[in-house]
Amino acid sequence: MSNDIEELPEASSQPPLSERLKTPEGKTIIKVATVVSVLTVLLLIFCIWWPLISLPPTMSDTEREVKNTLLIFSIASAPVMALVWGIAYYSLRHWNAGSGDTPPEDGPAIRDNNRLTIAWVVGSSLLTAFLLIWGLAALTSTTTLPTDAKPLTINVVGQQWLWSFQYPEDGGITSNDLILPKDRPVIFNVTSTDVIHSFWIPEMGIKIDANPRVTTNTLTTPTELGMFNVRCAELCGLNHSYMETTGRVVNPADFEQWVKDKGGSPGVLVPLDVNKIEPKE
Amino acid sequence: MADTEIVSHGTAHAEESNGGGIMRRLNMWTGIVVGVIAAVVVYVIAAKLLVNPDNEDMAQGPDQAVIAAEVAWVIGFLVGVGAFVAPFRWLMGKDQTHDDEMFLAGKGQGVGRYLRFTTDHKVVGVQYLVLAMTTFGVGGILALTIRTKLATPGEGLFGGQIYNGLVGMHGIIMIVSTIIMVVGPWGNFIMPIMIGARDMAFPRLNALSFWTLFPVVPIFLSVAFLGGIPTGWVAYAPLSDQAPPGMDAFAVGIIMFVISSGIGAVNLIVTATTMRAHGMTWNRTPIFVLGVTATSVLGLIALPCFEVGMIETLLDRSQAASFFVPEQGGSQWLYANLFWIMGHPEVYVILIPAVAAILEMTPVFSRKPLFGARVAAMGIVSLVALSVLVWAHHMFVSGWAPTLAGPFMLTTELISIPTGMIFLVLIGTIWRGKIWTRLPMLFVYGFLWNFMIGGITGIFLSDVPADNELHGALFVTAHFHYTLLGGAMIGAMAAIVYWFSKMTGRMFDERVGTWSFYTIMVGFNVTFMAMFFNGLSGMPRRVADYDPQYLIGNMISTAGAYVIGIGMLLFLYATVSSWRHGPIASANPWGAKTLEWYVPSPPPLENFEHLPVVTGDAYGYGDPTSVHTSHPGVPSVASVPAHTEGNAS
Repeated sequence: MSNDIEELPEASSQPPLSERLKTPEGKTIIKVATVVSVLTVLLLIFCIWWPLISLPPTMSDTEREVKNTLLIFSIASAPVMALVWGIAYYSLRHWNAGSGDTPPEDGPAIRDNNRLTIAWVVGSSLLTAFLLIWGLAALTSTTTLPTDAKPLTINVVGQQWLWSFQYPEDGGITSNDLILPKDRPVIFNVTSTDVIHSFWIPEMGIKIDANPRVTTNTLTTPTELGMFNVRCAELCGLNHSYMETTGRVVNPADFEQWVKDKGGSPGVLVPLDVNKIEPKE
Repeated sequence: MADTEIVSHGTAHAEESNGGGIMRRLNMWTGIVVGVIAAVVVYVIAAKLLVNPDNEDMAQGPDQAVIAAEVAWVIGFLVGVGAFVAPFRWLMGKDQTHDDEMFLAGKGQGVGRYLRFTTDHKVVGVQYLVLAMTTFGVGGILALTIRTKLATPGEGLFGGQIYNGLVGMHGIIMIVSTIIMVVGPWGNFIMPIMIGARDMAFPRLNALSFWTLFPVVPIFLSVAFLGGIPTGWVAYAPLSDQAPPGMDAFAVGIIMFVISSGIGAVNLIVTATTMRAHGMTWNRTPIFVLGVTATSVLGLIALPCFEVGMIETLLDRSQAASFFVPEQGGSQWLYANLFWIMGHPEVYVILIPAVAAILEMTPVFSRKPLFGARVAAMGIVSLVALSVLVWAHHMFVSGWAPTLAGPFMLTTELISIPTGMIFLVLIGTIWRGKIWTRLPMLFVYGFLWNFMIGGITGIFLSDVPADNELHGALFVTAHFHYTLLGGAMIGAMAAIVYWFSKMTGRMFDERVGTWSFYTIMVGFNVTFMAMFFNGLSGMPRRVADYDPQYLIGNMISTAGAYVIGIGMLLFLYATVSSWRHGPIASANPWGAKTLEWYVPSPPPLENFEHLPVVTGDAYGYGDPTSVHTSHPGVPSVASVPAHTEGNAS
């Protein structure tokens, strides 16, 4: 972004840069650049700090991808924010003409600056292109099933106002708590029996709406043992805020034991489809 | 408001005018009386015919009765206020006389013209401002009620049903209020003067647009007494199909609102394209006019989709039409698409006029030309164009058409380029300016702070994997409040302060106004920063209750909301007290160059003695060769203070 700053005054490009920076305008630019740099550093510190105190623990590969994205995006936006706020701050400090009853005399009649405009638009386009490419890569990696492990399919059914989970590959057991084996990819086939709900695991960075008469799906791979929350993220009526349950990521051996305790048999396929509708491709 | 208007408009001609006929007897109160009678009569008849709890075929009777009564209220109100008098006379072959037209324009009526079907664009502007501020106040009270309930977890003040109803009412009332907050008052009051016109292109449509909007506000309030809406203002199907009759009232209200805004938008577009002063080419047209025109085009494209969605919802509810009910073969995604094809452009309908107002006043208070006026125009037009191509980013997690996630991520992120252009224009204009830190300029700086945060967090949400985490969380709530309250509303308040003297003839109380500015900025940032953090740590939106881990953030948010409330009350106090007792304003207190500052404050009926001639753009600060108008269209500029003249030459 520092390139943009140097171009801000009318570009009279004849003398070398070192000479131009000694003129009053050049000194202004150095001062503004200093303010913007300091502000950038402060914002970068803020970018590193805020995820630490706010984001939920990382329990899946998807959530890791989400957190990387949030971090990269905030680092990329720090210089942009610093540039605008830095100039705004500098203008209030050094170009402030007071708040008298009559308008101050006019400033310089700068109407445009084509080089600056082009630099600004090209710069913001490049930044946008970077964010887009990053986003597409993250999207691909979070929607692609890892090939090295056999995925587990779980049917998620939302209804006003509770979640239930069916394990068709483990003897067709049903549970109100979501138990997942660690390090094994999970495909969630999500549907609803009444209105639209939204199946959300904040700790795993996945969310997909539960629609009546349609099955939607999402996937992730749990990477940490422990408890997590399942919430509804779409206003679904009276008790929407209580439509939540807990889940647990356990070791594969513990998962098989849990299935047996529930009366299921691990690995035995029982075709189960709440709405008798084939999952969408 | 009353005394100044009477002084300036109660001319000696008041007694001579004898036009108007029956219109003399009709006003807002007769409209309300006729509307209420019509609604009650229709409801009683409909309930008798349609509602029978023992008959299963009549399960939709209550919905039909409520729809009929609400529609009867609107039609009755419009009849009672006199909206159909002129068309009826025309139909009977008795067209309006000149005196009738002058009466309709509000000539010699004093304050009464604000309560009538008055066609003068300045009266309509004042009516819109009062209505917008009133509805904003109602929405604000609802917001404080919601925040009070959320201060602590648990059942608290009230349960989920009332809470959901409040969330929906707060949403729609604020949306309506902010859509009209800039275009209504200033698009109607200032824009025609700015382009050198005597009135809007269609003055009667202008009055019709306002008086169609007016009965919408009681309809939205009636929602609360008909069981509320459980859906939030998005009114998603199929939850909307389960809802009590409040949903019917809500839908009728939306339909009437879209009709009103469509009438207003057409009028603004025609006025701006055909009635600009001699010599006012598009390049010389002030940026605010461009912004209002672009917004009107966008509203005209987008808002009817909501109307269609609401008509179909009404048919689903009252006739089992099953457009959106999956059990009967409908599609909830069809509704979501219709809603968001309206819903995303709609936020730009709110934002762009406020941005245009900010762009209009930044040169005045920087005493410099608008930097890159063409870039600003291109930015606004690009925002309009892109905003109709991004709607599905609201549906990234809906499961609808997953292959479209990439394309919609592309279009959404492209919006950051025209938004960046707006920021370039703003800081380019401020650069090396003589910053005159009067109250409107403070709001410009507040806008730069808030809208930057709102914009950057929007980029987070445009990314599909990040949106999968943040969608439906409080992060989204904080994000759009930063753009709509922190961006658009701050811009709207700047516009109120900036053009207040032109509308009322009195200066805004900047001392109290400055207190309110700082109070609102502090309260606003505290409230919604806390919401960002709660959202990031996993608290969903629109929940009546929450886990105790979110307690601290919610308490901070609630405290901040009360600080905003205090700031808004201060602003309201400053507005009302300045309107009544403020010091008399000169024609041009800001030394600005657009045409509205050449006419007296407040401007007389039909604004100009002669139509002005424009010779350059309105931003020739620091450049004596650039003159906006050499014939401002008023006989003398004696009322313009000397310092302004000095600046212009």
